[in-house]
Amino acid sequence: MSVLPSIQVQKLTVQRGGVGLLNQVTCQFEAGKIHCILGQNGAGKSTLLNGLSHEIQPSQGQIIWHGKPLDSFSYAELATQRAVLSQSNELAFSFTVEALVSLGEEVQSRPQTASEQVIQTVLDVCEMTHLKDRDYLTLSGGEQKRAQLARVLAQIWPTKACTETQEEGGDFLGKWLLLDEWTAGLDIKHQQSLARYFKQWAKQGLGIIMVLHDISFAAQLADHALILKSGKVFAEGDIQSVFTEAILSQSLEMKVRVEQDALTGQPIIYPIL
Amino acid sequence: MKHSLKSYLSPFWLLPLLLVIVMFVSVLQGGFSFSPRDLMGELSAPQALVLWEIRLPRILLAAVVGAGLAISGVALQALFRNPLAEPGLIGVSSSAALGAVFVIVLGRVLWQEVAVWQISVAAFLMASFSTALLYLIATRHGHTDVALMLLAGVAFNAIFGALTQLLITFSDDAQLRSALFWMMGSLANLSWFSVGLVSAFVLIATLALWRLVKPMNAFLLGENVSLQMGYEPKWFKWQVMGLSALIVGVSVSMVGVIGFVGLVVPHIIRLWVGADHRLVLPLSALGGAILLVLADLLARQLLYPAELPIGLLMALLGGPFFLMMLLSKRYARLKNLSSVQGKGF
Repeated sequence: MSVLPSIQVQKLTVQRGGVGLLNQVTCQFEAGKIHCILGQNGAGKSTLLNGLSHEIQPSQGQIIWHGKPLDSFSYAELATQRAVLSQSNELAFSFTVEALVSLGEEVQSRPQTASEQVIQTVLDVCEMTHLKDRDYLTLSGGEQKRAQLARVLAQIWPTKACTETQEEGGDFLGKWLLLDEWTAGLDIKHQQSLARYFKQWAKQGLGIIMVLHDISFAAQLADHALILKSGKVFAEGDIQSVFTEAILSQSLEMKVRVEQDALTGQPIIYPIL
Repeated sequence: MKHSLKSYLSPFWLLPLLLVIVMFVSVLQGGFSFSPRDLMGELSAPQALVLWEIRLPRILLAAVVGAGLAISGVALQALFRNPLAEPGLIGVSSSAALGAVFVIVLGRVLWQEVAVWQISVAAFLMASFSTALLYLIATRHGHTDVALMLLAGVAFNAIFGALTQLLITFSDDAQLRSALFWMMGSLANLSWFSVGLVSAFVLIATLALWRLVKPMNAFLLGENVSLQMGYEPKWFKWQVMGLSALIVGVSVSMVGVIGFVGLVVPHIIRLWVGADHRLVLPLSALGGAILLVLADLLARQLLYPAELPIGLLMALLGGPFFLMMLLSKRYARLKNLSSVQGKGF
């Protein structure tokens, strides 16, 4: 059996202006799984995500990407393997939604018919097809988020189009999606429909790493959780092993009740006021 | 975008056609006017002199400088991620003028006669310096503060303008021409050599910027996003700064400060075809050439036999346009965006 691609974070330490943002963080992310990074504000979630996307240089430690140090990849190489949706996006110029998405698509050099197909597919997935000719600047916050997500997806979309019937196609194998609070601004309907897509793509090999605040949502969506506290790893593991009342209440300093879903065995999280 | 390139082909023949017409009309009109029939037949000696030594170089210079200024506007707007960045507004042009005047005055003391290329080099160096300085002032952590950019530009214009005037006041060098020339610009009395020099550098810089259209597009989404998309922003930023400074420096050293071309033209082109630099860059070059040839024609004809300084005319046309941009709804959204980002990070 071949080893699935993975990302290993080894004793990652990040300091900025004398402040330690991450302290000796060691963890691992695997292809085909949905990983969720949790933690309080300032715990270092976004910093870890920025480290994974190679946007910041660690002070110490390293990241092993598919068996090689992350430093050994060029940004152009990385761009074809992973796409990143940041928390805030700035765009002051009038791009149509379709033109914006094509900026992401162009990172791959596909034949023209394939690029058009990819753009159409990701627009459909994000339910932005009816808005594809709209000026990005005139969209609502949630629509802008979906447009950006479509751009991000187009960047790593497998050229071989996947259909819903392919369960174990592995089309996304070796591709990674890094999402920083992607649910912010999105209505529940789109959160759910995209979450279903994420689960489907993960089955096809996509590695997804997301920063989330909504632990109830994370419990349903993610396979694996990493909880950071003050720049250190507080807990890491399967959702079932990490999402316990003791761990959540200590790490996130919240009142919570955890039950097990009788049908799926998944934890159900009830935050208590 | 690939397929929509096709649907936007129309400006690619419309603008060149317009440019040819405008240039042709401009050749005919002037203190010494020609009829189209004159051009067909044999020209008299004075006619030929006016046509070849005065009219043609001037019109070509207007076209090249107009194209160059529009392109440098596009480049700076990508760099600052803001459609209001323009070499005249943010003080890059006036710094180039200071560089030119400084080397003329200094050169007079040190080595008598100053060569044209030396003036251009000095203007280019000052333009690079002020662009880099403004970028350091207005951009923190990859986010440009629009208000800070414009206000720093006001300060730059005041400082560089005052120093230029000071140098001119205390020098009686004939090569300096007038303070009016450096502040208002003029396309008159330039040789074919000057036209060739400006054309060569504008062409080189434009081709070099053409290589960067994809990273320029990505850069509009943010510095971090361009990195996520595989374009390393550091080297890119230096190139954009250097190339826009090259165009501005060479242009200003030849024709003085002509503002607003880089603001008006890219804005109109973006309204027409969107923000994709593969369209905006070449079309802005054409639009800038058309605008400046037209403005030069007006400057020569409006108050004939007197000639309006071209920079003055552009300020009269461009100033209200700039105000309109500031007040437009499109820009109101933009201001909100920048204030939100100011709090971020």
